[in-house]
Amino acid sequence: MEIVVNAPAQAPKKKRAVSWNTLLIYIVFAVIFLFFSITLHDKGFLQTANLMNIARQTAMISIMAVGMTFVLSAAEIDLSFCAIVALSAVTVALLLPYGIFIAVSASLLVGALCGLINGLFVSKVGIPSFLVTLGMTGIITGITRWITGLQTIPIDNETFTFIFGSGDFGPVSVLFVWMIAIAILGHVLLRKTRFGKEVLASGGNKISAMYSGIQVGRIKLYVLVFNALLAALAGILYAGRLQSARYTLGENDLMMVIAAVIIGGTSLFGGKGTVAGTMVGALIMGMVNNGLVLMGLNIDQQLIFRGVIIIFSVTLTMGHLRKKA
Amino acid sequence: MQRPLAIKVSGLKKQFDGIPVLKGVDFELAPGEVHAVVGQNGAGKSTLMKIINGLYQPDEGEIELFDEPVRLASPRDARAAGIAMVYQDLSLVDSMSVAENMFMANWTESSFGLLDQRAMNQQAQALLEKMGIADEISPEQPVASLSMGQQQFLEIAKAISQNARILILDEPTASLCDQEITRLFEVIERLKAQGVAIIYITHYLRDIFKVCDSASVLRDGRCVRRSLISQTKIETMLADMLGRHADSSINWQRPTVTPNAQPLLELRQVSTSDLAAVSMQVYPGQVVGLAGLLGSGRTEILNAIFGLDTIRSGDILVNGHAVKIRSPRDAIQQGINLVPEDRREQGLVLDFSISDNMLMSSLRKLASPILLDEHRGQAIVIDLIQRLQIKTSGPQQAVRYLSGGNQQKVVIGKCIGTAARILLLDDPTFGIDLAAKYDIMRIVNDYAAAGNAVIFVSSEYSEIASFCDTTYIVNKGRITRQMQRHEQSEEQLLAAVQ
Repeated sequence: MEIVVNAPAQAPKKKRAVSWNTLLIYIVFAVIFLFFSITLHDKGFLQTANLMNIARQTAMISIMAVGMTFVLSAAEIDLSFCAIVALSAVTVALLLPYGIFIAVSASLLVGALCGLINGLFVSKVGIPSFLVTLGMTGIITGITRWITGLQTIPIDNETFTFIFGSGDFGPVSVLFVWMIAIAILGHVLLRKTRFGKEVLASGGNKISAMYSGIQVGRIKLYVLVFNALLAALAGILYAGRLQSARYTLGENDLMMVIAAVIIGGTSLFGGKGTVAGTMVGALIMGMVNNGLVLMGLNIDQQLIFRGVIIIFSVTLTMGHLRKKA
Repeated sequence: MQRPLAIKVSGLKKQFDGIPVLKGVDFELAPGEVHAVVGQNGAGKSTLMKIINGLYQPDEGEIELFDEPVRLASPRDARAAGIAMVYQDLSLVDSMSVAENMFMANWTESSFGLLDQRAMNQQAQALLEKMGIADEISPEQPVASLSMGQQQFLEIAKAISQNARILILDEPTASLCDQEITRLFEVIERLKAQGVAIIYITHYLRDIFKVCDSASVLRDGRCVRRSLISQTKIETMLADMLGRHADSSINWQRPTVTPNAQPLLELRQVSTSDLAAVSMQVYPGQVVGLAGLLGSGRTEILNAIFGLDTIRSGDILVNGHAVKIRSPRDAIQQGINLVPEDRREQGLVLDFSISDNMLMSSLRKLASPILLDEHRGQAIVIDLIQRLQIKTSGPQQAVRYLSGGNQQKVVIGKCIGTAARILLLDDPTFGIDLAAKYDIMRIVNDYAAAGNAVIFVSSEYSEIASFCDTTYIVNKGRITRQMQRHEQSEEQLLAAVQ
């Protein structure tokens, strides 16, 4: 074989940059973890019960973030998932009297339908997903408020609440099991299947993807449906954990989910994303939430701090984006 | 004493991560001289230019401008010292006017701190007149309305407006038609007469003999020859670039097509919005050329076959059966694949690895039934890398960091990896160095010789003349003539496409 002529001039530099970026997520994670471990030591940050608590709080964020990883990897965005969370939670709560199976299926179906509408407008009509999902947020939130009359709907079906959020297997929360299951599903789907490769290719360069025989429009539609389905699942889990459903569920999650995905190394411009990174990003978010509560900050202060920490972490981990711009 | 040299570079060395790219380059250029820099991809041309342009710092060596030693720490420094580079992909803002683009870096402001539109337009007009292009470009015109050639002129004007005394032109003719090239050469002559020193980088060796005074040949990070054009021949230059005797007239050998075979691909009276009743046949083992000017419809014929354009009437037959092709996916399923015109925008995902790019068209085949068969995928990729002689550190290297020729090989690998029997190639050797060009022709030749069918579009008529079994001449969306191998010389093709 011949010697490489001009590639090594740049290639090794780039390789190092990539692994440095990947490494950074873990460093950020470690720094925040250490910070809370020291400052919140007397408030029991490191106790098993609290760590399990973090896992529980991370579960919903990470499930939504897995869906968002696919959406961003395909160079699209979905702002409506928070609204879907509330609608699906309310749907499952309202329909529980007809049985768990019917309630859960209907709730997932409603979520998927929202995703389908998003996807059809993006792929068939060609409207940017940012606008479609922004509009859908209003529509879905309006419907949720309307059908509940702004009331909280209580849930007293114990089987449901056990499976979908409140149950424990020994020390392990059922939410943790859901989180791991979705993470594995997402990882396999993105890395090991044709669908995942086509998602990344469509996001990386949709023209090349189309020339390669990939149906880019259909991929974008699937991705938005998949994300909506996971948002619906998160909504069901919220309902199960809180043993009630309310139209405000999920309204604070937009910032955290997108931040988790970006901190995890997924590109805002498509073509690049990993579920493993997203999980670390979600864990950082969950840890920050937990730490801020333990510090005794009120909701206003939490919001401000969370914003600061998100911008700080994204700044650290997004070196590749700054260079591009 | 002699007039000072515009630029004098001596003993320039540069390495990246321990790999030397420049190994001591000497280079000089007088005011009013047009000097060609040639060499294969990876010879060190672009590194040398980036050092002169202040983008990279040399490890060793001196740069003198007009007898003054300088240190160029950034492109800004280079600009201030009078060096301007006109890049291959132009850096103009489409929606703004010619004058606005020209003064993007140094706006003319009135005493109120507002932009002085009139003064800018006047200055722009003066500059356009100085270059002799005022009759075709006006300062108020939006850049979007300019042709590629005119945009190139504007780039040059922009550089001149900043008092550039040394101009670097990177492949200035690559995207221009013949007429525009002639105009460009006129502009270069004018600048030369005004004492501007010009460094002219190109793969088109013939252009050098029309417009340059002297040339440096780079090979493996060294300047192997510096000579006056009047004392050089194209063969010597090729030999210097390759480091061996150039084989300028390769006779491509393929088994002749059996006369009564069925065409593998046939077009019958195919019309689209750009094409009118195009008919052609491609037999197994045949390479069919499509020759035509830019915009003649040659790319559109490929687009119609590949399902990118809607077919209004007529039939496409694969192996004698009429097929419906509505998308690239349909085409790929029919065993047709396309190596598109723009490898970076249409062929590759630049940040993906070689492996991911090569398998992008074959994912359906590798899904078994849900999870991808990674072992089989890797085997295909490794086989293709070896067969196509792609120079790389491995299948996981991002294609962004490959040279143009190797990127094109990855696209070709992607296409033949789908087991396509019909390959459409749209100007596959455009902007690629000679060695890679030869490799690509060899790959396509072997592919056709194995009984597959090839349609080959090229803007280099010498390539078509020596490579294709038969050639269709395309003009304004129609086939105007079919030429057989023995009648298609470069000169005849050139005359036929007009």
